[in-house]
Formats: sequence, C-alpha cells, structure tokens
Amino acid sequence: MKIAVGIGTRAGGLLVVFVGVTFLIYLMVFGLPGDPIRALGGDRPLTDSVVATLRERYNLDAPLWQQYVDYLAGLLRGDFGIDFTGRSVGGQMAARWPVTIALALTAWAIELIVGLVLGVIAAIRAGTVVDKSILGVTIVASAVPVFVLGSTAQLVLGVRLGWFPVAGTAAGWPTAYLLPALVIAVFGLAAVSRLMRTSVLENINADYVRTARAKGLDEGKVIGVHVMRNSMIPAVTYLATDLGFLLGGTVIIEGIFNLPGVGNLLFQAIRSHEGPTVVGVSTALIVIFLITSLIVDGLHIALDPRIRR
Amino acid sequence: MKHPALALLGAASVVVLALSACTSGGEGADATGDRTIVFATGEPDHLTPGRQTVAFDQVLSVFAPLVTLNEQNELEYVQAESIESDDATTWTITLKDGWTFHNGEPVTAHSYVDAWNHTAYGPNSWENSGQLASISGYADLNPTEGEPVAETMSGLAVVDELTFTVELIGPDSQFPLQLSSGQTGFYPMPEAAYEDLDAYDRRPIGNGPFEMTEPWEDNAEFTVSAYDDYAGEQPTIDGVTFRSYTDMNTAYTDVLAGNADVVFVPAGKMTNAGADFGDRLYAFEAPGVDYLGFPLWDPRYASTELRQAISMAIDRDAVNEAIYGGIHEPATALTAPSMAGTPEGVCGEYCEFDPDAAKALLEQAGGFEGTMEIIYPGGLGIDSLFEAYANQIRQNLGIADVVAKPTTDWAEYYESLTSKTVTGPHFGHWGALYASQQNTLRSLFTETGGCYDCTAYSNAEVDALLAEADAAPTLDESYALYAEVQEVVLEDFPTVPTFSNKYPYVTSPKIAELPAVSGSVVLSLVELSEG
Repeated sequence: MKIAVGIGTRAGGLLVVFVGVTFLIYLMVFGLPGDPIRALGGDRPLTDSVVATLRERYNLDAPLWQQYVDYLAGLLRGDFGIDFTGRSVGGQMAARWPVTIALALTAWAIELIVGLVLGVIAAIRAGTVVDKSILGVTIVASAVPVFVLGSTAQLVLGVRLGWFPVAGTAAGWPTAYLLPALVIAVFGLAAVSRLMRTSVLENINADYVRTARAKGLDEGKVIGVHVMRNSMIPAVTYLATDLGFLLGGTVIIEGIFNLPGVGNLLFQAIRSHEGPTVVGVSTALIVIFLITSLIVDGLHIALDPRIRR
Repeated sequence: MKHPALALLGAASVVVLALSACTSGGEGADATGDRTIVFATGEPDHLTPGRQTVAFDQVLSVFAPLVTLNEQNELEYVQAESIESDDATTWTITLKDGWTFHNGEPVTAHSYVDAWNHTAYGPNSWENSGQLASISGYADLNPTEGEPVAETMSGLAVVDELTFTVELIGPDSQFPLQLSSGQTGFYPMPEAAYEDLDAYDRRPIGNGPFEMTEPWEDNAEFTVSAYDDYAGEQPTIDGVTFRSYTDMNTAYTDVLAGNADVVFVPAGKMTNAGADFGDRLYAFEAPGVDYLGFPLWDPRYASTELRQAISMAIDRDAVNEAIYGGIHEPATALTAPSMAGTPEGVCGEYCEFDPDAAKALLEQAGGFEGTMEIIYPGGLGIDSLFEAYANQIRQNLGIADVVAKPTTDWAEYYESLTSKTVTGPHFGHWGALYASQQNTLRSLFTETGGCYDCTAYSNAEVDALLAEADAAPTLDESYALYAEVQEVVLEDFPTVPTFSNKYPYVTSPKIAELPAVSGSVVLSLVELSEG
C-alpha cells in the first residue's frame, strides 16, 4: 500500500515535471539569439517572402506562450510537430530511439558485468598489485576526455587494427555498437568497481560471513551469495541512475561513431533552434531519467529485505 | 530471487539477447570489384533542386544543368543547345532534343518554365527562389506585402517544345553563367513531380547521369544508379552511395579506413590531409572567398586606413600554412581567381603582409582605442583561425586588447549582422554559385544584392559601374568592367580580403582520378583504380 502511494506520488510528480520542463526548454530555445529561419539558407540569404512564409508555417510569428500552447495541444493529439525541413519530429525520434537504446544498454551491460567483477576481484585482493592496478587503470581511463578516448579507440582499433567498424550502424548489433559502448562504459567502470570494492570489503569481515565460513561453506558461495547480495546496493543505485545518463549522455559518442541516435538529433536540433525537436527529445530523456530512478527504489526493496518490512 | 547478484547478471544477458533480436542486421561489407563509390557527406535538407541548400552533390548527380564550365572556365552547353540574346535582356534558350527524365518523360521547355515558376512562387517558400529574382514578373509572385498577383512569371514564354524565352528585368550579360550547375533553382522538373511534391523531395526524378532507385530516408544512406538513357556524357561508374555523417571528422576517418571513398576535408583536418592521403588529396579551385567584414557604421572602424592597417597586419601565408595546411590561397582580389576575368593582384600592397606599413597606417588613422573584438560564428571549427587573426593584429599593430569572440552559433552571428549589433571585425565568406565576378560583387557590395548585411557597404558609383558591366555586349567587355568595380570598391576598402578558397577532397585508393567543376566534384566522371 505504501509502495502504491509512493509510486502514485512519483507519477504525479512526473506530470508536474513534464509541464514545467517542456515550458522551460521551450523558453530556452525561444530565447536563443538569432533567427533560425534566416540561418536556414546558410551564407546565401533567403528572400523576404520566403522567410515570411516559413515563419508563418512554423508558427514563429506567434508569441511564446501561444507557440507553447499550440505545441502542447499537438502533443495531446500525439503530434510532436515538424522540424524546419518539414520532417515529423515523432517519426525522427521513433527512428532514432532504437539506436540510442541499443547503445546505452550495451554500454550498461558492459559496465555492469565488468564493473562488478572488477570490484569483487579488487576487494578479495585488497591491497595487492591487482587491486591497485584496477584502481589505477579505471581512474586514468575515466579521466580522459570522452572525445579523445572515442577518437583514439576509433583510430587504433577501427582504422589501424581493423577489429571494429569505424563508424555507422551498417554492421548491425552488436558489431557496430561494441566499440562505442566500450568507450562509454569506461566512464562508469571506475565508479562501479570502486563502489563494489568498498562495500564488499565492508561485508567480507562481517559476523554473518564469518559464520558462513565457520559453517564450512566454500569460498565461492560465501562471496557469490552472501557478500555480493549485501554489497550490491550502492553499485545498483549507481548503475540504475547511470542508465538514465547513458540514454541521454551519448551525444558525443554518437557523433564520433556516426550512430543516428537521439543524442545526435538533439545536438542538431539545438544548433538549428528547432524548438519542437529539442523539447520532444529532452522531455523523453527526462521522463526516462525519472522512470529509472523509480526503478532504483524498486530494486532497493528487492535487494534489501529490511526495507520491505 | 534467491541470488540477486546472479539475477542481475542474468537480466543483463537477457538485455543483450533482446538487443540482438531487435536491432536490424547489417548489410556487411561491400563486395569488392564493384563500380560504385561511397560519397561521405552531410544529411540532405531537401533533394528537390529548388529547395536544397546543402545537398549539392546529391542533386548534381541526379540532374543535368543547362550549361557547365570546362577546365578553362569557358561556358559549355549540357542540356541547352543554345542560349542567345541580342540585347542581354531577352534570352532564347533552346534545348537539346532527345533528353528524357528518369521516368521516360521528355525534357521540354515546359519542364523548365513550370519548374521555375513553381520555385519562384512566394507562397511555396522554396529556398532557392531568390536565384530567379532577375526574371521579369518575379516581384508579382513575391510581393513584399499581401498575396501574389500572379502564379507565373510574365518573363517566361514557351515558344515550342524545345524553345523558351526569358525576359530579365534589365540587361544581364552574365545570364548564361547563372544557368550553370550551382544554381539548382534553374533545374527542370518533370510533370510527374507535381503529383506529390513531398514524395518527389524524397525521390526526385531528374534529367541527370544518375537516377534514384529508392527514396531517401532520414539518416539512411541511399544509392543513385547510372541512368542508361542519359543523353549526356555517360557516367564512368555504376552508381554512388551517399552516406550521411553528423561529424565530418568521422567521415574523414572512414575514408582513411577505406569504408567510404570520397569526402570533403573538414576544417579541422586540413593540416593532416596531406600526410594522411598524399596524392589522394585534391584541392579544387573554388568560387568562394573569405574576408573580414566591419561594422562600418561604428566610428571606431570608419577609417579606411584602419581597415587597410588590419589587412596588412595579417600574414596570410603563415595563417594558410598553420591553419589550412597551405590548401587555400591568400586573396589578392575581391573575387576568387576562378571567377572569369578576376583582376588578380588588384588589392596590391594592401593585401600583403607588411607590419611596418600597417603601423604607419594605423597611426595615420589616429590609432585604436579600447578592445577590438573579432566576431565569428561558433561551432564551425574555425576558432584557431580567428585566434590567429587576433594574435597577429595584436602583435603587428601593437593594439593591446584584441580578442577573438565566437557567437553561440550561425544564427546568432547572422542576427548580429542583420541587426547591426556586431561589435568589431567579423567573419565573412561568400561562395559564388556561378563563375562570374558579378555574383560576389553584387551580393556583397550593393544594397540590393542579397548579402548587403554581410558588409554594410554600398556606393552609387559601384552600382552604376555594375549596371554598366551587366549590360556589356560581350562577356569579355563585362569582365573588364567588373574588374573596374573591384578597383572602386577597394578604394574604400570596406572588407579585408583574406583567402580564396580551394575545396579540398580526399579519396580512398579505389578512386584514381576525381574530376571537378567550379570546386564541385563531378561524380559521373570519376575514374576508378584498375584491379
């Protein structure tokens, strides 16, 4: 019952956030300096009558509140509007979400598996060379700017060694997504393995573990079941919120690896001041972020029986 | 869930499995030995010739222009049989017989007249409408206020199947040059286009060497195939795949890896291109010029000597080497050398690096007080160029406070020009769409030229001379008069000419020779490497 109320409150919050955020983003796009229609022609100016007709077509003559209300009204009908080349924003997003989701989930799976394993190894071998090199390597790797790591990986592993496709989605999943996902995953690895290491260390000498050992359980079961289960809460919390980040934070990687995902769409839309596209994509991102944090709460309950009571 | 850790790992593998099921499989690598090439480029905006502003390569492969230029920059007819006029005002265009669109429809005078009228009609708001503005009756279709009073331009008349006449609002000797490939507003469209213009924009039916065999879908590559019944010079390759990239540096890397065959070298890679590609780097003479514009209404920049001083303080050769890998050419005139009759060197000493003379001129101008902000559009990858300008002006003129200042993006930069709020010397570029000095001079240095805001310069003497040049009976006479225009403009020195562009392309080893006209690659005549 409490959970239902909690979820209900969160859902209500979602609605408020939705309206507030769409308006704020609309306001920001509207407030960007420069006339997007004039900029459409590049360095060759459009004629005045072309500009006037286009402004009317994209509803740019109306005051801000009017544009926003029209946009919301469209949303209620399931219409995300059109961009400045006349394409449907909804259609664009539908075509691009699968790419971003595939990329984010691939990265997330790598982060999860590799991060947890590295964390446990580091904890078991705490203080040894293995522990220190895991710490060193993950921290150094995540300190490199994403575009440097991305371009370097592309040049070395893609162009020079030819192990991975250089760019594009033509090779399909998983081949085309592995390298970009790996680059993205590197940034979460340090955090996941550190969190995991710390909490495993906390638990590994706890009374219940000593008891388990005393009962004669083999070490694999002690670590794999008893220690892992109690140590995963911080890492899971991190991983779940990170999935939200991954879905929205892949703009640079999508650019470098030419993956036509939503990050890419958002980037282009901001540059061409396309309000409907920017609002549509960022709202979807925010909703995803809120939903993942909702899921985190659920996961906590599943992992820690104490919360359930 | 007894083992959450295992369950979570299990969930991850389910995700992985689900993904492999839901994302589409790839097409795999291209078969070797085929006679198609992959052209790495940006995503098109439109493929209708009257609408596109960034999809030149795609549209130029599907359509044939009326005329083109040969390697000597002389006019050559393509779809046109002849383009003639007695008074440079009324032009008679005769088409070659036997040309067809890809759907089999013959190319007739109507194909042109109808397409031009449709492109010009204000309410259609087609982006290339302005290219047709010198045709009589254009104003009726594009009134400054209210509804258009006509749907067709009075200046266009069909004489017979293959002949039509064009009456211009005034004499213009350069009209035939305006019909060359870059001005896609002058391309024809078949009758079939008007049935569904949205579908046509996705899969245009043209009269060119290649035909679209499938519609273009957002962010997906598409292929054009050689059109067997093409009446012009047969394509040397079977087809071109246009693959769009959002980050052109990635496109460059993909060509380096051999996954794509041709790409325009992005600004940030110009210094690497020579080392990366050797003789597979091409630098084509392009119709574009770079310059620094000024807020001429601002008293601090009102002095001609000051602007000349800035010009002489810039070491164009050093900038060219450091930023462009030596690809561009330091400017010596207001137009690019490939614009016929360009008086190279007309800028004289004022376009040459001479810090001492520059300082003397600055002194003559009464020095400069305060901060000099050099404004350029951000996000184009030209930051280091403008920092270089700022450094050179600071060091060579001894002005203490010179900063390069980017705007957020192109829209803000452009707005600062149109609203006259730009605060200092600023980025300027003009890419002429046809190889005549007229286009650059008229656009940049007259009030009605379309890019008046780019320079904020106009001069009655210039207007009169330009009109005289436009009315010249022969092209050669017009060239001499345009050259004179350049001299008159340079007396006022409203802009600092910096570079004549070259358009750099690199290719994969698959391509043996990359031909170009006016800086644009001619994809139908690409030569492939043997074997």
